[in-house]
Amino acid sequence: MDATHAGKRGLRVAVTGASGDFGRLLLPLLEKDPAVASILVLDVARPEGAKVEYHRVDLTRHDAESELTEALTDRPVDAFYHLAFLFGRVRNGSVAHELEVMGTLNVLAAVGQARVPRLVVPSLTAVYGARGQHPALLREEAPLLGCPHSRFVSDKVQVEGQVRVFRERHPHTRVLVLRFAPILGPTVNNPATRMLKRPVVPTLMGFDPLWQALHEEDAARALHRALTAHEDGEFNIVGQGVLPLSGLIRQAGGRPLPLPGPLFRAALHALDTVGAAGLPIALLDYIHYSWVADGERAESSLGFIPIHHARDAAAALRRS
Amino acid sequence: MATKGVLGNDPFQRGAAQRPAEPKKEKKKAAPSKASGKGGKSSAAPAEKTTPMSALSTAKTVQTRPVAKKAPKGRKSRRAAGVTEEEAHRLREPAAPETPRRRPPARVPVIDGSPDATQPQTPKEQEVDRVLATAAAVEAAEAAAEAAAEVAVETLLALQAQQSGRAAAPPGSLDETWNRELAAAVVAEAAEAAAEAVLDAALSAGSSIAAKEASALMDEERTIISAAFQEDEDPSSTFSAEVTVIDKAYAVSAEETEDVDAATTTLEAEQELPDTSRDEFPPQRGIPLSEVPPPPSVDREPPQEPFLTDQAQGQPEASAERAPGMFSLAKEIAVQALASASVGKALGTAQGLLSALGAGLGIGGSTALDEYGRDAELVSELQPLLDFLYERYWRVSVQGADQLPMGGAILVANHSGALPYDGLVTTLALVRERPDLREPRWLVEDQVFHAPVLGTLFNRLGAVRACPENAVRLLDEQRPVLVFPEGYQGMSKPFAQRYQLKRFGRGGFVKLALRTGAPIIPVAIVGSEETSPLLGRIPAGFLGVPYVPLTSPMPLPARWTLRFGEPIGLDGLGPDAAEELAEVQRLTERTREAIMGMLQALLRERRSVFAG
Repeated sequence: MDATHAGKRGLRVAVTGASGDFGRLLLPLLEKDPAVASILVLDVARPEGAKVEYHRVDLTRHDAESELTEALTDRPVDAFYHLAFLFGRVRNGSVAHELEVMGTLNVLAAVGQARVPRLVVPSLTAVYGARGQHPALLREEAPLLGCPHSRFVSDKVQVEGQVRVFRERHPHTRVLVLRFAPILGPTVNNPATRMLKRPVVPTLMGFDPLWQALHEEDAARALHRALTAHEDGEFNIVGQGVLPLSGLIRQAGGRPLPLPGPLFRAALHALDTVGAAGLPIALLDYIHYSWVADGERAESSLGFIPIHHARDAAAALRRS
Repeated sequence: MATKGVLGNDPFQRGAAQRPAEPKKEKKKAAPSKASGKGGKSSAAPAEKTTPMSALSTAKTVQTRPVAKKAPKGRKSRRAAGVTEEEAHRLREPAAPETPRRRPPARVPVIDGSPDATQPQTPKEQEVDRVLATAAAVEAAEAAAEAAAEVAVETLLALQAQQSGRAAAPPGSLDETWNRELAAAVVAEAAEAAAEAVLDAALSAGSSIAAKEASALMDEERTIISAAFQEDEDPSSTFSAEVTVIDKAYAVSAEETEDVDAATTTLEAEQELPDTSRDEFPPQRGIPLSEVPPPPSVDREPPQEPFLTDQAQGQPEASAERAPGMFSLAKEIAVQALASASVGKALGTAQGLLSALGAGLGIGGSTALDEYGRDAELVSELQPLLDFLYERYWRVSVQGADQLPMGGAILVANHSGALPYDGLVTTLALVRERPDLREPRWLVEDQVFHAPVLGTLFNRLGAVRACPENAVRLLDEQRPVLVFPEGYQGMSKPFAQRYQLKRFGRGGFVKLALRTGAPIIPVAIVGSEETSPLLGRIPAGFLGVPYVPLTSPMPLPARWTLRFGEPIGLDGLGPDAAEELAEVQRLTERTREAIMGMLQALLRERRSVFAG
């Protein structure tokens, strides 16, 4: 039974992490969508909404899988959005790891058991890593090199690995992995927005890598479109155009401050050792080498065409 | 001279040719008109210039009873004189040696007129004297203007010589005319202000005859000024000349007003003091030059009659205050004059270079990039520089560009020179010679692409990192792709091995051609080795590059020749052949030989490296 075969009764959608950035972007669209009959929210907090059916599930608990299975057998769903990922400032990395990696394991087990026809998992283009050997445009089949120093990126890479294994074992479930470029907008909070909201952003002198940016509205549309797409697999969800990092910073209202590489590295490592997190060390890769993903597949297969240019996304950040 | 230190960094003085000749002329010009009734004229120049005014004020102090009232005025007039003196200095520097010789006749009447001006007691006499003084002032002004005009012509000649020495480009009409217009406007305004001052001074005496004469003189002065302006072509020096004229007029009128004070009012001491303070900082006068009121007509004067003394007093002070403002403007004008079209082009180029540097350092903030990182805005900004390099500096000649097939093609070229200008020049040549082709890109090796500043800048100019994915993508877009199979080795060969091809890597371009079906076109580039010869290497691993090439800081003006050869036949091999190492090697070697042959032919044909 596929979401597209749901018939007259309308789609039933389950969502984890509905109170996160992705959830808050997606839920209003689902509420407005007449094809969606109900939204089963599996979360620790209940969001507002007329179609919302709330079932409290704490994904970090060891018994989360049984609770999820229970909920899904009670109310079978046509599509499952697993959006419980942390983008905010994380104080306790191990809790974040529990939620993202172990939580995803629980979700995948439950979804597999309930034979949910469609699973949507968001990811990041950052999972490709920023490396010197990358081609100008990264396609979906590029290896996920990630960023070894960053828990944030490494967890996403692990999640993608789990999802890939799940896809091989459960061919009846249509799995869509959406790799988002940095999402910028007035309501989202992620490492990219935190960096770009600074009045002065340190950059590496002599380097100005190409970045992409996705407006939050485009991100929401892409998530919504995944509900009815006929293709599955990975998709790069990127905004229009590319910007050099300096251009992105300027569009966001800040000023780039180029620092000589060795000095920058030493300062970052010193700060990291002391425990005062100025900028994540992981960022060094991303402000050194370009990491531009090719959004062609999302356009042709998913039918997702971004409305906003990267500079509009950055400018939206300035207005927030 | 006390003022010399201040004037030392005056832009007008830079490059001044005939400095020693100056003091004489200045003495003649400045001293006689001002130092009316005092005998210390033959003293040294610095003393001379300050003494006239102080002597004058003391004389007046004697003349009029309240000392308290006179003291501020003396100060004031000295200040005015000080400015005049400054201007005179500024003017002095470009003076022609022969100008002093022509001045004496104009000066004579001034000397005659001025001494009397301070003496008379009766109102009638005062009037006459005032008129005389005005006449004298105007005459002095005229003389000064003429002298200044001559000076200006000389300066202009010198400037033009300098400019032509610096940049070979022809002087542009637009900038120059604009500058001239601006200067003309400023000069006209200054003239008006001067005329106004003279007129006020005359009116303060209450004689309509004087006023009429003054207005007549004003017209005269204006014609003189315009004549002077038309005569010379350097707006800056004209302007300074005019300012001198104006100030002299003011100085004279200052004297006159003090006479008026002495004669008409004796008990204004209390009221004068606040006036002085106001005069010292007249904001509405000093700031906007464009708001200088139009030359006052006689009918506008009557309402001012009750405040005549104040008004007349305020006028010269205002001029003294205004002068620095005018001078800053004059400096600006001089800068503008220097920025004639050739210089303007150079400035545009400099700006392009600056933005290129900004882009290289990573602070460009451009928003017009394509997905490969080429910055169309930056390229168009740099276009004048690139055109200059291409046409004039490197005089690139292109052979065989018409043989290039439409659509994607793999251009295989020799790599040379410590800094890889060759890719840039070849793509420029393709854009110029074959505008029908899609915009070409060149592939650079990682060592260049990831070098700080240079790699970023090249990326913005259109370089793409050399890897099969990028090459396939570019070929799919039907673009000509320029590759340098020698790679990094080709760049790092010493000057002694110039134009000797290194091995051609692993034949990646052949595999690419076999897989995509794109033709291989050999390209020989001659000239890049001499443009940036690699003289040595400085290890610089800490910068993220293997070494920093020791080469000439500027690209050298070697002649460039590009030759596009016949496409290399692929012998009907299909994509499968890309896996056969022997075939790939054979084709690689054939391409290498083709380039080698063209290179040797070009080197044989080349008569001179730099000339031609």
